[in-house]
Amino acid sequence: MNNVIEVKNLSKTFKVKVKEKGFIGSLKSIIKPKYKTIKAVNNISFNVEKGEIIAFIGPNGAGKSTTIKMLTGILYNNKGSISVMGIDPTKKRKKLAYEIGTVFGQKEQLWTHLTPYDNFKFFGAIYDIPEYVVEKKIKEFIEIFELSEFINTPVRNLSLGQRIRCEIVASLIHEPKILFLDEPTIGLDPVVKENIRTLIKRMNKEYKTTIFLTSHDVGDIEKLCKRVIIINKGEIVLDDSMENLKYHYLNKKIIEVKMKEKVNLDDKDGITILKDKGYNLKLEVDIKKTSISEALKLIDSDKIIDINISNVPLESIITNIYKGEK
Amino acid sequence: MKKYLNIFKATLINELQYVSDIVLGFLSFLIKIFIFLQLWNYLYDDPSSLIAGFSKDQMIWYVIMTEMIWYSTRNKTLVNQVTDDIKSGGIAYTLNKPYSYLIYIITKNFGEISIKFIIYMILAIVTGFIFVGPIDFNIINLPFIIIVFLLSFIINAIIRLIISMLSFYIEDSTPFHWLYDKMIIVLGIIFPIEVFPLFLQPILKFTPIYVITYGPAKLVIDFCINSFITIIIVQIIYLIITSILLTLMYRKGVRKLNVNGG
Repeated sequence: MNNVIEVKNLSKTFKVKVKEKGFIGSLKSIIKPKYKTIKAVNNISFNVEKGEIIAFIGPNGAGKSTTIKMLTGILYNNKGSISVMGIDPTKKRKKLAYEIGTVFGQKEQLWTHLTPYDNFKFFGAIYDIPEYVVEKKIKEFIEIFELSEFINTPVRNLSLGQRIRCEIVASLIHEPKILFLDEPTIGLDPVVKENIRTLIKRMNKEYKTTIFLTSHDVGDIEKLCKRVIIINKGEIVLDDSMENLKYHYLNKKIIEVKMKEKVNLDDKDGITILKDKGYNLKLEVDIKKTSISEALKLIDSDKIIDINISNVPLESIITNIYKGEK
Repeated sequence: MKKYLNIFKATLINELQYVSDIVLGFLSFLIKIFIFLQLWNYLYDDPSSLIAGFSKDQMIWYVIMTEMIWYSTRNKTLVNQVTDDIKSGGIAYTLNKPYSYLIYIITKNFGEISIKFIIYMILAIVTGFIFVGPIDFNIINLPFIIIVFLLSFIINAIIRLIISMLSFYIEDSTPFHWLYDKMIIVLGIIFPIEVFPLFLQPILKFTPIYVITYGPAKLVIDFCINSFITIIIVQIIYLIITSILLTLMYRKGVRKLNVNGG
């Protein structure tokens, strides 16, 4: 029993005011407001073990952020139970605060007029950490996160990448057991993204921090996570290891060929032609039904200029799951 | 407690950058004082006469004191920031930090207004000495007066927060802030309660102006231990009731909060 997060039959509904069109509709809604209930999260259950890096993904409006907000004590749940580090987030928020760290990519928690250094000291004070410990921690983080260049620049003057790094540090000052990251790499360039991923991995390894991540960036998920939970329309549609996800969906290969001459191909069992532009061909091969060599036999090898065989990208696997195809 | 001291310190440091903005407010402060100086000069045709028990000097010092309170406590944190935090759902993000949002905001407010208060206090005293001259003031009373001022500022902050908490329930709480502003300006700054018609006076003594502007200013111009005791008792009652109301509104509001972008 090493579960740090336990969620059972969790549900959350929102009440939204519905207004009819036009002026008359507005008047009506004053006298007799109508409400519509929206199920943001519908009866989900899952567990997270200590030291895991888990991706919690889904399309916009799927209920990811709502779930993360319930786990961190920001929103109240309607039904079901949550236990984070054995604490009910809605009942003992302040106690939970000492155990978890949160980074919301779209919401800054640093004080923008203060320098990162002052911010870290401030966060240290909020979490009742002795000053010499904070000093030591800051020194450590400056090195790991390479902050020395801008440690004394007010946060409002930092670039997005620098700011996000500081946000993560600020949420790590009190050595949380679980780190919740809600789209931490949103709006960052590939280099900074890579940088942040490495840091997250390092945090996980060195401090055994459990990482709970939501992201729309497939790269984040692919490079960081060993387990994926996919949520759609408030329900969990998949909860599996990354390996299984890939294995299960990787029975298809994509062959792209560039030909010297125009060729005409017909669909065959297990081979679908995705694109046929005469000289350029794109085939999808279902290797459960046929083999790559069968597919290659269809093409005259003397006329090939270029060929590329690849896996179905994770991105389209995930897109298909979002759309409900299997 | 240490964490709130840190918040106080952080805002104080930040506010030091804006001292020049505070100085710009001097102009309207001085114009107002000048207008009231003319008004009272006109009304008191005989400088030794009393109106509603106040001498001319006391009357002008009263206005200087209430204006000082008004100018130094006006702060956008309690109004705009809290309203924004509620409207944007940002208030929810402070829920999982180990501090209380309400105490945090009040501390921040004090960090912001304390420099303003000191500057306006100096200005008020200088203005008073130049326009009116010294009034009868005993330095022994100072500790009592400080307590009353402090409570006045705290109660004002709590009432402002209560009004801002309305944003949980209605689209826009600014009209209520506007009403509160006008109440303070019309009833609490220009004249002491004694100047109003007799039938109004008991009612006015129940309004917040009694504890926020009238009480402290009255004690500066005309201290007596009995009125100190009355004022401080009313302040404590106000403090308890408003704190309870604020806590209830906050707790209830936060529960019904929907954070956008879920």
